[in-house]
Amino acid sequence: MHMATTPAIQPIVHLSNVDKDYKLGAVTVSALKQVSLEIAPGEFTVIAGPSGSGKTTLLNLIGCVDVATRGEVIVAGQDTGKLTEGDLTRLRLNALGFIFQSFNLVGVLDAFQNVEFPLLLQKKMNAAQRKERVMDLLNRVGIAEYAHHRPGELSGGQRQRVAIARALVTFPRIVLADEPTANLDSVTGNQILDLMQELNREGTTFLFSTHDPHVVSRAGRVVRLVDGRIVTEPEQQSQTSHS
Amino acid sequence: MILIQIALRNLLTHKIKSAIVGGLLIFAAFLIIAGLSLISSIDKSMSKSIVNSVAGHIQLQEKGAKDELSIFGQMGSNEIGYIHNFAEIRKAIEAMPEVGAVVPMGIDSSIVFGGNVLDVKLEALRNAVKAGDKAQSEVIRRHVRRMVALLDDELKNLKGFSDQEKMSDDMKQGLLDVTEANQPKFWDSFDQDPYAHLEFLENKIAKMAIGEDMLMLRYVGTDTERFRKVFDRFEMVDGQMIPPGQRGFLFNKFTYEEQVKHKTARRLDKIKDRLAEGAKVATDDEIKQWIKLNRTQYKEITFQLDDVATDAVKAALQAELASKEGDMAKLVDAFMDVNDGNFQKRYDLFYKIIAPRIRLYSIRMGDTMTINGFSQSGYATTVNVKVYGTFRFHGLDRSTMAGAFNILDLMTYRDLLGYMTADKKAEIAKLQAQSGLKELKRDTAEAELFGEGGGEQVEDTTNATPTQAAAVTPTDAPVEATPAAIAGDVPLSGAKLMAKELEGHVYSQAEIDGGVIRSAAIMLKPDVDVKTGMEKVSALIAARKFALKPLDWRAASGLVGNFVGVIYAVLAFSIFIIFLVSLVIINNSLVMSTLERTREIGTMRAIGAQRSEILQMFMVEAVVMAGVFGAIGCTFGYALVAYFGHFGLLASNDFMIFLSGGPRFYPALPPWGLPVAMIAVLIVTLISTLYPAWLAMRITPLAAMQDSE
Repeated sequence: MHMATTPAIQPIVHLSNVDKDYKLGAVTVSALKQVSLEIAPGEFTVIAGPSGSGKTTLLNLIGCVDVATRGEVIVAGQDTGKLTEGDLTRLRLNALGFIFQSFNLVGVLDAFQNVEFPLLLQKKMNAAQRKERVMDLLNRVGIAEYAHHRPGELSGGQRQRVAIARALVTFPRIVLADEPTANLDSVTGNQILDLMQELNREGTTFLFSTHDPHVVSRAGRVVRLVDGRIVTEPEQQSQTSHS
Repeated sequence: MILIQIALRNLLTHKIKSAIVGGLLIFAAFLIIAGLSLISSIDKSMSKSIVNSVAGHIQLQEKGAKDELSIFGQMGSNEIGYIHNFAEIRKAIEAMPEVGAVVPMGIDSSIVFGGNVLDVKLEALRNAVKAGDKAQSEVIRRHVRRMVALLDDELKNLKGFSDQEKMSDDMKQGLLDVTEANQPKFWDSFDQDPYAHLEFLENKIAKMAIGEDMLMLRYVGTDTERFRKVFDRFEMVDGQMIPPGQRGFLFNKFTYEEQVKHKTARRLDKIKDRLAEGAKVATDDEIKQWIKLNRTQYKEITFQLDDVATDAVKAALQAELASKEGDMAKLVDAFMDVNDGNFQKRYDLFYKIIAPRIRLYSIRMGDTMTINGFSQSGYATTVNVKVYGTFRFHGLDRSTMAGAFNILDLMTYRDLLGYMTADKKAEIAKLQAQSGLKELKRDTAEAELFGEGGGEQVEDTTNATPTQAAAVTPTDAPVEATPAAIAGDVPLSGAKLMAKELEGHVYSQAEIDGGVIRSAAIMLKPDVDVKTGMEKVSALIAARKFALKPLDWRAASGLVGNFVGVIYAVLAFSIFIIFLVSLVIINNSLVMSTLERTREIGTMRAIGAQRSEILQMFMVEAVVMAGVFGAIGCTFGYALVAYFGHFGLLASNDFMIFLSGGPRFYPALPPWGLPVAMIAVLIVTLISTLYPAWLAMRITPLAAMQDSE
């Protein structure tokens, strides 16, 4: 899954005029208004904005865990508005990787099993192939020696490395990360960002949300959200590349 | 598979949930295993008790009979029908490869008078007088005289209590007779005309005597030889088996001890047994009651002792009690006032000194006993039969239920039953129509009723009154209906004569099988189960058009047979309740743990787990829980069952003895017990998991993101 670098290539994510409303009782709250956005392969994009600006909503739409009220959300070539629940789930499994703010590892499984979990859901690889793939990634994120530790026995940074490995294990088209460093101290947070940048250079497309200016400063491209609208034109920046 | 690992590890992680759910499932599994073992073992042992003592595997009764056969059911008005063609039926059914044997039966109850001591003494006196044995007759006469004196005392006391006005004329006359017999002049004149005196005593005084035991005996009229061979629980205790083909009666040892034994001796036996079980005189109300009875009922002993015996007993009691008391009543009273310390010594002394001098059993082996049969329509028959011995049903010696069955030969049974065939009834009706009222002549009646079998039936035809016409109805088979016969006031001498004639007469198998019976027991071959047997027997009955209804032992034993069904229901109900409670609690705790796991499940959904896979995960967890805890519960249950299966559980009362088929109960797990318990636990767990699993399936991937923003 090595990305082509030409911007002309089909974008991984394409949003056009997307609205997202939430009904809170009788009141309808508009979380996203007329959002249009494209993410091309190889980007390292940050969605920035204050709390309540709609970052997570946008990420959820792209992550196929929620659907738009109006407008078109196309992920990996599929119009998510037209997909069934099961199709969306399959899309998440095969095309997307998720990194969560609180890591969200399965507490009763060790690092190896957590990383292996999506592969088990995919049912594409045999045990040997899975093992090889999982150990590759654990090596890559630098915690191979903790393969058989459970999350409870790992530090925050180590857990997030496991989560990154899990997100990458299925060769996703794009990895979505919701405030991936929010629960980490700044040193660890930086290490995680370094790792993600390295992985980006190796070809993984990242899209993450943050309100941390430090994180924003490291982004290849910044999409700013205020009150559900994109305020900074999503210019095509060319910081994304691979070594 | 990873889901199993997740399930197992979840069990270990959520300790409180696991403890609650686990505890319940373990208990449920344990209960099922223990309960099933208990019930199936009771069922098995009880079926042994019932099948191998009297019922056989299958009972046959007349098709269309008003009442269903109930072997352990109520006595009396049981219109269970009659079977006439037993010989043919037996031949057909015994030819079946599944059947071991067919035994003819009739179960009934009758009254037997245990004989009174005065009667016995008078008979001895008559014999002594007849033999001209002066010394012997002198001793007995003194005893009889004392008995009469005691009787007179007794009755005078009684008179003080009761209203003279309400006393019947018979009773008043009886009191006068006793008083007369208690006069010195009666005894002074004895030698002048001993026979007249004896007659007076026999006819007027003996009937007033106390201690006349009325026994209600339940018996199986059967082909005794066949019964002995087929019912393997049957074993002789004392005396001898009724010789093949002959008439005779066998006491069940239990009945014999309970009803026939001297009351004081029996109470001492019971006290001894109770003390052996660890009871104490001071704290056991029943023992206290028995002691009280022994002390107040001293006459049971003193009445039976003649002068010589009285002197011997008196000396022994005085020595034991270190007393100079000369009054036997007071001595016996004091002697019977036992305590934990002196009981054994006095018990031994009783059997050494007193027992040999009294009638320990009112009916003894070799005696001829008079059975007073009666039926629902009110006619009565009296039959004399020789008591050959006592038997027991192995392992059921102490069971009241099995112990109530005595055994009577079929010929005598038929005499008591007094059954008439439909033809016979019609003929009698015709005869009566012709001649108004005509007495039924015994000789011809018997021949006609029972073929060449005949019988020692005693029919008091002298009092035939118009009531007899009513008694001879098409519905039943009265031979006679004389109130006097019911009261036992029948000329015994004639009956005894008959008994002597018939004693030793050997009936052929054709004669035994040829007459009427009430039911028949089928004993299947050892490897044939009852269900199969029932099917085959039913098929044969249908094919041969026999007017028979087959009942399995459970149905035939009436209430007792249903007992297992009842405890099954109780167990099923309690298991149901426990499951219901478990269901609610397990469900609740799983819902809690599901809510706790919301984010984990949301994450799984987010990274690509389908709803169905979440459901699958929950089901796997349920199966794992059921498997782990069910197995633990089953192990505990099995351990308990195995423990008691090896060491046995003491059957604490009569009914338990009957249920367990012996003094100890050995529960065993039926082979299907384990799967049943596991499946039940699994089902409960799966049902309890449904709602939490449904909740879990509704968790959206959004739940994974919930703490951001």
